[in-house]
Amino acid sequence: MHADRTNRAMLVLFAVLLIAVGLMGAMTSFGAFGGLVERAHLFANPVSVYVGHHGGWLWPVTAAAGLVMAVLALRWLAVLLFSTDRAGDIRLPGDHSAGRTTLLGAALIDAITEEIRAYPGVHSAKARLIGDATSPDLVIETTLELSADLSALRQRIETNAVAHARQALDNPNLPVILDLTVNDRHARRLS
Amino acid sequence: MRLINRPLAALLSIALITVGVLIIVEVAADRIVNHPALIHWHRVYDWAERTSWTQGSVRVGSIVIVILGVILLLAQLRRGKPQRLPIDSDVTDAAYTRRGVAATIRGAVNDVDGINHSTVTVKRRKITVRATTAGRQPYTAQSLHEAAAQAARHRLDTLALSPAPTLAVRVTTRRR
Repeated sequence: MHADRTNRAMLVLFAVLLIAVGLMGAMTSFGAFGGLVERAHLFANPVSVYVGHHGGWLWPVTAAAGLVMAVLALRWLAVLLFSTDRAGDIRLPGDHSAGRTTLLGAALIDAITEEIRAYPGVHSAKARLIGDATSPDLVIETTLELSADLSALRQRIETNAVAHARQALDNPNLPVILDLTVNDRHARRLS
Repeated sequence: MRLINRPLAALLSIALITVGVLIIVEVAADRIVNHPALIHWHRVYDWAERTSWTQGSVRVGSIVIVILGVILLLAQLRRGKPQRLPIDSDVTDAAYTRRGVAATIRGAVNDVDGINHSTVTVKRRKITVRATTAGRQPYTAQSLHEAAAQAARHRLDTLALSPAPTLAVRVTTRRR
């Protein structure tokens, strides 16, 4: 999910805010800002006094800020719940005077995974196109057999399947993320 | 961490939406009907007017907020175990998964005659192998350490990880 970075950034921001608010409260409470402040009531401070004197324009501004915050948070929640990082169908580059060529993302994925699964030593393969449909990234996740020549298999995937995908998309610089894992369940059962 | 962050992020976004809407509703209600709409904030105001900073609940509340913030911050900044270990490749952004690296090294060490069992821990910069021998002569820990270390090293080299993690192999004799 591509909101992961946003999630982390927002949670860090929230944590810093909690620490700042808590520290300010604790420091005031324990007399870090002097005895007078320590013994005062919670709203007897310059900020509260300022808000009390300028409530006429400050509260509408606060409501506007609340609206902005709610809209941004709603957008964040929508991304969290409903969005996907998968690219749709790919419009191939080139001369469009005689029409456009669209490559179905699913068709490309099927072709790549079928090719990789056919290599001896490959246990399973999955792939997906992510990002913008005009400049997608290809993600391949492959599980290899423990007994396979891992290095040779990786090179075969890179020089054959990945090359074919780049050729199909007419993009020799297509970014490809290749995740390899090893299946040792069979070996574990035998040992 | 990502799996924990997602529900936390959803909760935080819902809380922000709720707070934002409440502010709008309360400000509007105060302007239009001069009365609270959903929250009796006058009570909160009165409570804050008569509560001093030295009150125990204020101190405990502040400390709890700091502790929660520190826990959340440390959890977010902590670098967990790597999900993928990059491979030296010019063609793709290739990597072995952490589980894959552990499985292949464990397989290599388990293939050594006399090794009964092994566990592999993969961290960002270091891979630790703990192997146990069958426990009978001549399969003692001392005699098999070199073979186990060589097998693990050879398999690690074939993976061509970049940067290559260091390898530590510990072999113990099984106790009967």
